[in-house]
Parts: sequence; C-alpha cells; structure tokens
Amino acid sequence: MLDTYLQILVSGLAMGAIYTLTAKGLFIAHLATHKLNFGQGDFLMVGAFLSMSLIIAGIPVLLAALLVLIALGLLGWGLERLVIRPLDRFGISGGSTYSWILTTAGVALILQNIAELVWGKSSHYSPPLFSEGRDNVIEIAGINMFVEEILVIGFAAVVVAFFYYMLFRTRWGRAVYTVAFNPEAAMLLGINVRRTVVLVFVLASLLAGISGILVGPLITIHPHIGLMFTIKALAVAAIGGFSNPLGILIGGVLFGVAEAFSNYYDSAFGDLYPLIFVLVFLVFRPSGLFSEAQADVR
Amino acid sequence: MKSIVKSIAIGVATVLGSAQVLAMDVKVGVIQGLSGPPAIVDFGESYLQGIRMALKEYKAAGGAVDVELIVYDDEANPQRAVSYAQRLIQSDNVSAVMGTVSSGNVMAFAPILQRAGIPLIAGPSIATGITAEFIDEDPSYIFRCSMVEKFQIDKMLDWGIENFDKIGLLHSTTGYGSFAADEIQKGMKERGEELVEIQAAAPGINDLTPQMIRLRDAGAGLVLNFHESFELPYRALPRIDYKPTFAGNWGLSSQKVIDIVGQDAIEGTVMGQALDLSDPEAAAFDERMRAEFGDAYRWPVLAALGYDSGRIMFQAIENAGSDDPEAIRDAIESIQDVEAVSSTPAEPFSADDHECLDAEHVFLGVWRDGRVVRLE
Repeated sequence: MLDTYLQILVSGLAMGAIYTLTAKGLFIAHLATHKLNFGQGDFLMVGAFLSMSLIIAGIPVLLAALLVLIALGLLGWGLERLVIRPLDRFGISGGSTYSWILTTAGVALILQNIAELVWGKSSHYSPPLFSEGRDNVIEIAGINMFVEEILVIGFAAVVVAFFYYMLFRTRWGRAVYTVAFNPEAAMLLGINVRRTVVLVFVLASLLAGISGILVGPLITIHPHIGLMFTIKALAVAAIGGFSNPLGILIGGVLFGVAEAFSNYYDSAFGDLYPLIFVLVFLVFRPSGLFSEAQADVR
Repeated sequence: MKSIVKSIAIGVATVLGSAQVLAMDVKVGVIQGLSGPPAIVDFGESYLQGIRMALKEYKAAGGAVDVELIVYDDEANPQRAVSYAQRLIQSDNVSAVMGTVSSGNVMAFAPILQRAGIPLIAGPSIATGITAEFIDEDPSYIFRCSMVEKFQIDKMLDWGIENFDKIGLLHSTTGYGSFAADEIQKGMKERGEELVEIQAAAPGINDLTPQMIRLRDAGAGLVLNFHESFELPYRALPRIDYKPTFAGNWGLSSQKVIDIVGQDAIEGTVMGQALDLSDPEAAAFDERMRAEFGDAYRWPVLAALGYDSGRIMFQAIENAGSDDPEAIRDAIESIQDVEAVSSTPAEPFSADDHECLDAEHVFLGVWRDGRVVRLE
C-alpha cells in the first residue's frame, strides 16, 4: 500500500513540477511588470511541439533543446517588443490599462492556430528524450519513475533555487524589484528598465520552453493543451503568492500531488477537487502562502 | 418526311433529356468534426477521406450525377452543428446531408433534417439510439453508416466474460464516455456479472497512473478502455508492473495508436470492427486510400464506413434521378447491390432498419504483428 501511495506521490510531483515551471514564468513577468502572459501555457505547447519535431528529425536531444530555447527566447522577446511594450507608450508603467490581457491572450490564440497549421489538429506524442522505447523506467527505492519525471522534478528544484538566488542575492534581482516598485525611480537610479523587462519576458518564455521539452514525452500534446496549463499555473501562482519563488514551488507540488491523489480516490472528479482546494485556500489566505511574509513591493 | 422529322425531334428531345440527367447537379452537405477535441478530429477526417474517395471514384467511373460536396466543420460543437444544418437546408439548398462525429450533435440536428424532409446518413457517430429515435416516423429520413455502440460492447462483453475472470472499466467523463459506461454496466448486469473496478478520467487528463493502479489492485485482467485518449492508459503501465489486456472503442484500431504506443504494447488489444483487411477487396481499398492520402490516412475502418456511406449516397441520388430529397430518401432506403468494403451488407436498409451495420456485421478486431485482424 505504501508503494502505491509513493508511486502516486511521484507522478503527482512530476506534474506539479511542470505546473511550478509554468507558474514560475507567470510569476517572474508579474513581479517585474504586474502583467501576466496569458499565453504562458501556449508557449509551453510550442516548446513541446518544436522539441518533438527536432528530435524526430534526428537532431541530438541537447542540440534540439538548445534550438528550442533559442526559438522560445526570441518568442519571449517578440512578445515584449510587439505585444506588451506598444501598450506602454503613454508611460512606462502603463498600469492603468488592462489591454495586455487581450494582447497576450490574442498571441495565445495565434500560436494555437499556427500549431494547428504546422502540426495538424490531432494529438501527438513526443519521443522519449533519453531512450529508445517508452518503458524507460528507473527504480528508486521500489518506486518506478520515468527518466523524464526525474528530470522534470530535479529541474524544477534547480530553477527555484536559481530564482531564489537571482532575486534575493544579485543586483539583477534588486533591479527587478526596483522596476516593479517604481519604473521611473528605477530609471533615475541608473537601472536599464527596458532591458530588465525584456530579460524578464525572455526568461519567462525560456521556462515555458524547458517545461515543453520535458513534458512532451510525458503527456499527449496537441495545439490546445496550453490553456489548461495556463489555468493550473495561475492556480499554483495564487497558492504560492505572486511574489515568492519558494511559494510557487510549494504551490505547484501541492497542486500536482492533490491532483494525483484526487484521481486515485475519485477519478470521476479528479480535476475538480484540486481547484476547489485552491478556492477554499484562497478564502483563508487571499494573497497566497508567502506573499505577506515578504516585503510587499507592489 | 413527317415521320423523319418526328423521329429527329424525338431523338433530339431524348438527347437533351439525357443531357439534362448528365448535367444534373446535386449538392450534398457534409457536417463533420474536423477540429476541436483531437480524438474527434481524427474520426472526422478519416470518415471524410472515405467520402471524398467514394466521390472521386464515382466521378472517374462516369457517374451520371454531378455531385458537389459542401463541407462544414462543426468543431464538435452542437450549436455550430445545428446552425450548419440550417444553413445547408436554407441557403445551400442541399438534397441530402452526411455527418457527424459527435452523437450529441447528430441528435441536435437530426430532428431539423427530419422535419425539413432532407435525408441524413449519419456517421461516424456511434451512440446506440440515433436511427431508432426516428424509425417510427412515417417516413424516417435518418440513416446511419457507422459503428453502433451497443453492438461492439455486446461483442466485447461476451468475449471478455468467456476469457477473463475480472473485468475493469476506464471511461472518460464526457457524454460519450459516461454513455458507454452505462451501456457496459447494463450489459454486465444482463449477463449476471459485475465489473471489478470502474475508473473515470477527464478528457484532457495528462496522467492515468492513479486510475491504472486502482485497476491493477482490483486484479482486472481485461480493461475496457472507453477514454478518448486511446494511448494514455498504456503510458502508465511500464512503471506499475501491470499488463492487462485492453479492449475498447473501434478508435483503438487507428494507425496513430500503434505509432504512439508501439507495436509491443498494443499487441493483443481488442476493439469493435467492421472492416476485415484480410478480405482482398478491403485490402485493395486500403492500398488505394494509402496512395491517395499518404500518411494522413490512418484509420481504415473509419474511412471504409465513410466510403460506403458515400457510395450509398451517390448511387441513391443516381437511382432517384432527381435532386428531390424525398426521392433520394426512398432510393437510399431501397438501395440494393451495395458492394461495401466494410461489413455493410448488400441491402443494408429497410423501412424498419436504417443502420448500415446490424449486430451480426460487427465483430472484434485485434492488433497482431502491427495489423488489425479479425479476432478468432
């Protein structure tokens, strides 16, 4: 019985790690600009499709991953340059409008349609990253795990540590917080606001790309998987609070594990319970797990 | 002299008359799920490929009617399906309609076509009651060329109970999956048996490990798979030391499933079938489809039923000799000598049977060495 629970825990952790990585992209963009990319999940979808095509074309996995990340980096840059920044021309903060909701969601729709044109409307499976067959299972303490699952869990942990370090221990982190607090003041302090914001969106996009590469072999991919990831990532970011990288990790893990166990106990409503859990949680902690413990920069 | 003029006049009139038949334009509307949920896309596209092939061959063989297909994508959305049905009747002036994947959509627009007196050959929708709903109308305009859920489930349960001690069920929470689950539970009860475990999953789910663990722990040797993600249940198996036999929807015979799951994992998987590729005519059809559509052709049984429904429709229009929907309906009902590639019989319809496939035409197929063959 314990084996069973551990097995479910692990599969929940793996999905939770993907939600964490996706939510991390939302978090970082929101931190610096108070804006969210409603196409974050669709960026993940593009990453998954690109990596699938490259690997099937026989390009070595690491090179394929690099190419996907370059493409996604450009996509993130393009998003900021063409979809976010033009809205700010009446002032850098541009916080008074919510047009970015429309434009980022629009980009999401465009990406879905492009994916339909290129890869067709049906579902696909990405080949495994590091093995020939689909039974690349590694046994750790009696628990069988797919290599990709181990990777995705490990990677999420590394990314969280990296963000923690970057945000709280480096000049760049301070720049992000300063820009978030007051862009004009940041500019007067000599911070390159534009560059900080662009970098934030590129980073967010890279995170989606990494998630896409890792999640591709674990799930069925099709042009419309993005929305579901965006919604779950929003839920995860809400649990964690939008201003702390550690909160996002805990939120993602909680959500993924809750989802796996609710599928085990009542599969007919497996998707429902985690979302109800988020709603109830937000009633008691409207600003998430950690945001109140940190200095509120907004 | 007079008689010569008369015979010339008659001759000219005959020629003109037959020219009119030759030039007869008939529009046939096709509503098909070509986007929306991925599973539906594959069903819709495959069926449509079959219809297109039938039309191409009909024209190449010098068919007397110039059939024009007007194709709409209902995106598996009932409102859209209904509005396209209305558009086909009111502005496109079609004489007959074919489609669609979602049984719910068919049930939404079939009453409209019945009222308007426009014949419908439904497919590849598979809910059991589609033609039965209208068969008592005088006359019914609703026909179907597709799998019938009850028939494939009955075959599967008879075989499953004979060969397995414990049978489990995995179904999706969509209308389709819940409907299949009800039908299966009813069927088990009728046979005095019970399922050892019933697991459900939302259509967009990413991981079925928890559900498969439950089925494993219940000791299910046969898992009936009625979830739209045909390949997902296989995915969880290598890590939970579980290797049940799967049986399920005819969708499991898609080339796509084997491409994704792999030949080893899919070997022995059983599904409802209506096409036997060991039959030379079916094999020849398979070849022709492959030549025509290449890699996009993935689902022989779906395409075969689309092809047969197309052939029945075009032949019926020719037999009717006009674009009058009522005449076409009568011609469909009384059609004979259908040389179907699926197991559709030569004389499929009668006044009280509007299904291409009856219980005796549905059989079980099984994946063996990378091909779906008849389960012996």
